[in-house]
Formats: sequence, C-alpha cells, structure tokens
Amino acid sequence: MKNTLYAAAAVASNSFRESVRNRFFTLFAVFAFTSIYASVLAGVMAVDQEGRVLADMGLALIELTALAYALFSASSSLLKEAETKTIYLVFSRPVPRWSYLAGKLAGVLLTSAFMLAVMGLMHLLLLSFRGFGVPPFYAWALGGSFLKLAVITSFAFFVSLFSTSPVSTLVISGILWTLGHFVPETRFLADQAGGLKGTALNAAVWLIPNLQLFNARDVSGSACVLGAPAFVSAAAWVGGSYLAALWLLRRKEF
Amino acid sequence: MEKRAGLFLLLAALLAWGAGSSAAFRGYRTQFPPPGEIKQAGGGAPADMFALAFGARRLFADLWFVRLMQYYGTRELSDDEEQEELESHGKPGHHCHHGADFGKGRYPDFLPMSLHILQLDPGFTAACLYSAASLAFNLERPDEAEAVLNYGLRYSPKEWKYLSVLAAIGYTKAKDPNAVASAIAPMLKDPDCPVMLKQLAAFLNKRAGNYAAAAAIYADILVTTKDPAYLRNAARELEKLKGRTSKR
Repeated sequence: MKNTLYAAAAVASNSFRESVRNRFFTLFAVFAFTSIYASVLAGVMAVDQEGRVLADMGLALIELTALAYALFSASSSLLKEAETKTIYLVFSRPVPRWSYLAGKLAGVLLTSAFMLAVMGLMHLLLLSFRGFGVPPFYAWALGGSFLKLAVITSFAFFVSLFSTSPVSTLVISGILWTLGHFVPETRFLADQAGGLKGTALNAAVWLIPNLQLFNARDVSGSACVLGAPAFVSAAAWVGGSYLAALWLLRRKEF
Repeated sequence: MEKRAGLFLLLAALLAWGAGSSAAFRGYRTQFPPPGEIKQAGGGAPADMFALAFGARRLFADLWFVRLMQYYGTRELSDDEEQEELESHGKPGHHCHHGADFGKGRYPDFLPMSLHILQLDPGFTAACLYSAASLAFNLERPDEAEAVLNYGLRYSPKEWKYLSVLAAIGYTKAKDPNAVASAIAPMLKDPDCPVMLKQLAAFLNKRAGNYAAAAAIYADILVTTKDPAYLRNAARELEKLKGRTSKR
C-alpha cells in the first residue's frame, strides 16, 4: 500500500513538473498577467467602483485562465501518454492503474492550485498598486474556483478515456462547465414546468454538478463562505468521476 | 471476477456522483432572482447569457453599472436643444456643476438599466444607492427611485441604507430639506454611499447655514471620489466656504 501511494505521489509530482515546464504554462501565465492588467484599465472606467470591478474582473479571468489550462492538461495528458507509449513503460512497473490515475489527477489539480495561487498573488499586487486592499472573502473566492476546477478536471479525465480527441474532451467538459452554472436556473424551470418536462429537468439537476455552489466570487458578503455541502459535493463528484475514469482505464489494454 | 469489479466501480461512481448532487441539492440556496426576472435584456441579451453561463453575474452587473455611468455622463441634449434650454432657463439644461442642479436631464433608460443591474446582482448595494439617489435627487423622479430601492429591499431586506434613502425621498416630497439631510447623514461615511448623496448633503447643509458641516462633507468628497466633475465642484465649493467659515 505504501509503495503504491508512493507511486501515485511520484506520478503526481512528475505530472506537476511536466506541466510547469510546458511552454503552454508560460503562455497562460503571460495571458493571465496581460488580462489582469487589462482589467486595471477597465476598472478606471468604473470611477468610484474601481476596486469592485478590478476584483471581480481579476477573479473571473484567473478562473477562466486556470480552467483553460486544467482542461487542456486533463484532456491531453492520458491520450498523449498512450500515443507516445510512455504509459506502457509506467504499467510495466509495479504501478497499479488506480495509483497512476490518482497521480495524474493530483498532478493536474496541484498545477491548477499553483496557477490560482500565482495569479491570485499577481492580482493582489495589481490591486495594491491601484491603492486597494485585499477584497473581503478573497481566499474563499479562490477556494471556490479551485473546487470548480477539481470537479471539471476529474470529469475531463473521465471523458478523455472514451472520447476520440482532446478537442472533443474540451468541448464536452466546456458544455458541462456551462450547464453546471445553469443548475439553479434549471431547478427553477423544473419547478415551473412540472409534468414530463419537469421530471426531465429534475433528472438533469441530479446529473449535472451545481457549480454555483462553489461560485463564491459571484456572491456578496458572508454568502461567500463555502459551507460543508460545497466540500462534500466536490469530494463526491471528484470521487465519482475518478471511479468512472478508473472503470474505463481498467477496460483499456495497455 | 474482473467484470464484477468493473461493475462495482461503476456503481460506486454513480453512488458518489448521486451523493454529491444530493449534498448540493440540500446545501444550495440561490441569492439571485430567477432568470424570468431578467427583463430589461434588450441588446444585452447575449451578455446576460454569458453572465449566467460563466457564473459571472457580479462581473456583468459591474459592466452594466459602467454602462449606466457612461449613459448618465453623456450629453443628453443636442446642440439645438441645449441652446433652447439655455435660453429658457438661463443655463445649460443638464450637468450644471454648481450644486442642486448637478446631473439634471431626462435619461429615459436610467430606470431599466438600474433595475437590470440589480436583476443580475441584487447584492450590488452601491449601484442601487447610486441609481436611487440619481433618480430621486438629480432627475427628480422619486417614484422610480422608490421602485429601485424596493427591488433592492426584496433581496436585501435588512439593508438600512436603502431605508435611509427611502426616508430621504419621503422628506424631499414633503419639502423638508433638514430632515433629508438628517436621513442621509448616517450614510455619509459608508463606503457604499454614492458621491451625489454626499454632494446633496453638503448642499443642504450649506443652504441651512451649517457651513462647517458642508465644508467637512466637501473635504470628504475630495478624498473619497475619483469623479473629476464632483472633485472640481467640491474644490470650488470648499474654496467659497473657506471665506464664509472664516467670516463667522
């Protein structure tokens, strides 16, 4: 058990290092910096609400940039290793598939957390440069973004194991991301519709993860604090996607 | 055996997913108005879709607020109309920067734009106060101001600042300027207090002869706002008040 956990940690660490060294990572960092800097210009137009606009725009850009990288990484990681036959080398050693998959997922999540932390720091520096302090509940907003990324990344891993290309994984995961933010509206529509339509919409509510639950950056005041249901749901959805991905990975012949 | 393990994994995955949905179902209460309430979409409908799809209602409410300020900050009258206003009133028809007439005009889209911001983010207190204060005290449309505040109160029933502005609007209707000044006084140090309310408070104090209080509010405007028009006006008024306070 200790050895397999060690193997998972080694895969995660390798995946993290590989991601950070990837030139796309640098490109995303440059994009993030430019975007956040552009938000400073937009903030100026908001006159007395500059602080709020800067905070909101920066947090949204941070999340979208990290999402783009996490999805790109999750959708191509396993496929690339299968194409380059690296995965055969890994499985020729005593590395169980669950441990390999857990390591890969942990590596991408670690990279996402690192990206969020670096971009968050850049954003706070820019805010301070413009004369504003740390926005209230800033850490919760970043934490919520990380939970969203964790759910969607693990789902992308699952999709990448049955989809034919990284692009289709990106598209499917992107659609789930969008639908995930519509869950409260879907619940409302299900209540309004009733009948067969209502049942279908209610079923969709159970199948689609409610990403608004983690959307601390979009609410005001104490509602930004993520409660236990957010952490429980995130863990369950990540676990569910991981188990489904493992089921597919076990069926593959490497 | 292998097949059974696979089935077990699949079942466990479904159970875990269901557990996540169940916890989310119980734990989530939306703070936002239902989508059916977003009525003033107009040309902004695609932006509203983005706001919902990316979970960025707050950000899009900010952008609508910037649009509202740009709309309110744009010359409303054509040159001919401006001349007409000038001839009939002896001064330009809008954006007179000298006190009570600051920000006058018609701005027919002001109410729909204000409500739209709150429909996207009902927690945007500063936008609600800015809209209500502009409508009530600059554009002289207190009924529309009350509509904005009442919408804000539906989602933030404990927001005392909305109640203070509602009281101030009531006193304005009753033509009691001293009561208006008292109603808005507690809000003046609040970061959400819109600059035009500060300007109004300073103006009312000046008119009532409370020059020191008026000067203090103008001094506060100088350090809290970035709006150049208000900054210029505050500096000018402060200069005038210096003379009056030193005479006393």
